[in-house]
Amino acid sequence: MKRRTRYGSMIVLLTLFGWLWALTVSANVLVQCPGDTNGDGISEDPNIVCRSITGGDGYTTMADGLGLYIFSFGDADGVPADRVIADLTLKAQLPAPTIVLKQGQELYLTMTNVGMAVRPDLFDPHTVHWHGFPNAAPIFDGLPEPSPSANMGNSMTYYYNAVVPGTYFYHCHVEAAEHMQMGMIGNLWVTPKQDGTSIGGFTKFAYNDEDGSTGYDVAFPLLLTGFDSFFHIASDTVQALPFAAMFDEYPMINGRGYPDTINPNDILNQEGFGAQKIPSLITATAGQRILLRVSNISTTHQYTFATTLGVPMKVVGRGAALLRGPDGKDTSMTVNVLNVGGGQDYDVILDTSGVAPGTYFLYTTDLANLSNGDQERGGIMTEIVINPL
Amino acid sequence: MDRIGKQHHIRVVLLIGALLLFFGTGAQGAIVGISGNSFNLVAKQDVIVTSDGDSTIIWGYAVTNAGGETGRAQYPGPTLIVIEDVPVTITLSNELPNESGNASIVFPGHQVTATGGVDGLMTQEARQAHLKPTNAEKQVTYTFTPTEPGTYLYRSGTRADLQVEMGLFGALIVRPAATPAGGDPAKKYAYNHVDSEYDREVLYLMSETDPIIHRQVEERQWNLIDFTKYFPTNWFINGRNYPDLLAENNVPWLPTQPYNCQPRMHPGEKLLIRFIGAGRQTHPMHFHGNDFETIAADGRLLSSAPGAGPDLAWQATTIKSIPGQTADLVWGWTGKELGWDIYGHSPEDPLEPYEYAPNHGKPFPVVLPPRDAVTYGAFYSGSPFLGGEGELPPGHGGLNAAGGYFYMWHSHTEKELTSNDIWPGGLISFMIVEHPDVPID
Repeated sequence: MKRRTRYGSMIVLLTLFGWLWALTVSANVLVQCPGDTNGDGISEDPNIVCRSITGGDGYTTMADGLGLYIFSFGDADGVPADRVIADLTLKAQLPAPTIVLKQGQELYLTMTNVGMAVRPDLFDPHTVHWHGFPNAAPIFDGLPEPSPSANMGNSMTYYYNAVVPGTYFYHCHVEAAEHMQMGMIGNLWVTPKQDGTSIGGFTKFAYNDEDGSTGYDVAFPLLLTGFDSFFHIASDTVQALPFAAMFDEYPMINGRGYPDTINPNDILNQEGFGAQKIPSLITATAGQRILLRVSNISTTHQYTFATTLGVPMKVVGRGAALLRGPDGKDTSMTVNVLNVGGGQDYDVILDTSGVAPGTYFLYTTDLANLSNGDQERGGIMTEIVINPL
Repeated sequence: MDRIGKQHHIRVVLLIGALLLFFGTGAQGAIVGISGNSFNLVAKQDVIVTSDGDSTIIWGYAVTNAGGETGRAQYPGPTLIVIEDVPVTITLSNELPNESGNASIVFPGHQVTATGGVDGLMTQEARQAHLKPTNAEKQVTYTFTPTEPGTYLYRSGTRADLQVEMGLFGALIVRPAATPAGGDPAKKYAYNHVDSEYDREVLYLMSETDPIIHRQVEERQWNLIDFTKYFPTNWFINGRNYPDLLAENNVPWLPTQPYNCQPRMHPGEKLLIRFIGAGRQTHPMHFHGNDFETIAADGRLLSSAPGAGPDLAWQATTIKSIPGQTADLVWGWTGKELGWDIYGHSPEDPLEPYEYAPNHGKPFPVVLPPRDAVTYGAFYSGSPFLGGEGELPPGHGGLNAAGGYFYMWHSHTEKELTSNDIWPGGLISFMIVEHPDVPID
């Protein structure tokens, strides 16, 4: 580990005791899950999905070994309400726990603000913003300005009727430039009703295309983001935050820079916790169709990517919408390079027919972002392994 | 949030409160600008204020009125609203400070005839006063006939790296000459096709500044200006940062920044967003609340064939504002399929306009946390329902007395939600969907 601040850990020890004591007095954690009759946090109604996450802080390890302080969401699924704060303090994950729904399901998402143990001087609320949710209402939009946001030690349950399939993502919207730079971002998608039917030789689809054009065999999320290490260190060491100077130099896929992107294991942080749980190795059998759910949540950068497969990328969805005109005209795009701005998401299909088995790369063509800080051959890159039939 | 940020936030909230007091019942549904076919502009230096509390030197186009009086420079320049097929004449004089360069305007997308002034690289230019121009050199005249309705940008064609950074740009809107075939003369259309219909419109003209460049201009340190080190830290919609852009148009305390950005509408209406990248950065603008549909780019409907209408339109919630590019988006919101009644109706209540009937009377799905467990945002009415109201904590400004639904429309390069290192600011705006009973204009 290249750098490690004891500062934060000292504060944790000094403050956790008094602070958690205070929370046991004032905590208001209520995990809401209709249809959960046995208290395991899972609804007995298959149409209702209950998820429990936390908003708080933690640590990550960059691919060059640098430890960085983060804010993010932790995974509290199945954790009893009275244990959420005690068990999940300092257990933020990068990216946040992935949320996958089937079209038509209802999501009851409880977010408990466990506080920032390393920064007890912060009393920030947290929220969940489902980015791209159509016809959203402010109460569940996670914007702190027109809604309530959960204070430390308290929870709020968000409700979403997931009727529009597609690739989305979610993030905290409190002081978004800060909380998103700090890592409060996660994958989220909704699979279409068409799944399970057989069209054009496929049973899984990105959208309800009715012609199999978005059919795929294997799917992978690629959540692009980046960290500005100076910003994270400033936050960790209780310094003024450099908003104007913010500039990501740790570009990542699903919270990891290459070669950690292909590491199948959790990446451990300085506390020994595996905060970075999502590898991005893409594997398929020759001839299969790969769906990439690509989004960019960097607070400073747009990212452009390509592959070395030698086959083009077919862009079939954008912004959680099938690429079709208002009268159904096919507006999908066949490209070799795709630029993804912050807040954009795309569904991309790679047809590996005719691709020789072997190892290929998916990489950013903004070559400066192939780095982990000042370490070369890192950043936004992962491997695509095509196995023989 | 650090402590300085918190104090600033309180000041911002107070400022918003003060600004909201001035919200009138002006024409919220139309873009403010100057209409006609003859405009007299002057390039001048002036000052704008930014929401970090600073003030910045800018160069802008000022308007000379029919009485011969020239106003202050505007950031951005005046929004010119013209009619398809009606010839337009624009004169430009140059009152920029010495060493700023000549002044000019280019109108991308139009075939312009320029007369007078002196020869420039891209067009005729109005010569600088200290160079003692002849009368003919002092003023340049641009004429063109806008043949295609749509949204356009105009900007300086002289030393554009510096002059555009300094603020010499503006919006040009070309309205259709007639109601399109099959259209309703009582309705509004952006293009010559019925599928470009809208109820209200709003301008989103994005720009940015690097305060260091502006300081160097102010101090006349011309030799120090270095665009290889360009690093903007202030961002604007229609020439103002958040929260200044919430204030009314033409407020007296922003004399060089006349245009606001405060769209409001009712459920079911169609809002036309005229979207212009006037600066040099790309901004991925994200629209909370619902998908938009992009029906046109660079003043042309996204059509597969002439007359086909916007059949290649695409929907999303984020669109990149590309430097020099324009787009027209249509946005609407009804709250359909939310799974609960946004009005909090009982089943026997009558339906509101555009209400999604299958949700009528459906109960609110969760128990909200008690008041002290949460922080109420400045625009929260205290109720989750559209047009609702609820108990607010002491000290809350009550800025959403009508219970409107606020949606942030903002850059998703989130560092741009700051004004020169101060959060919040920059590229934040709010759309307000008002209860059908709340009058808007």
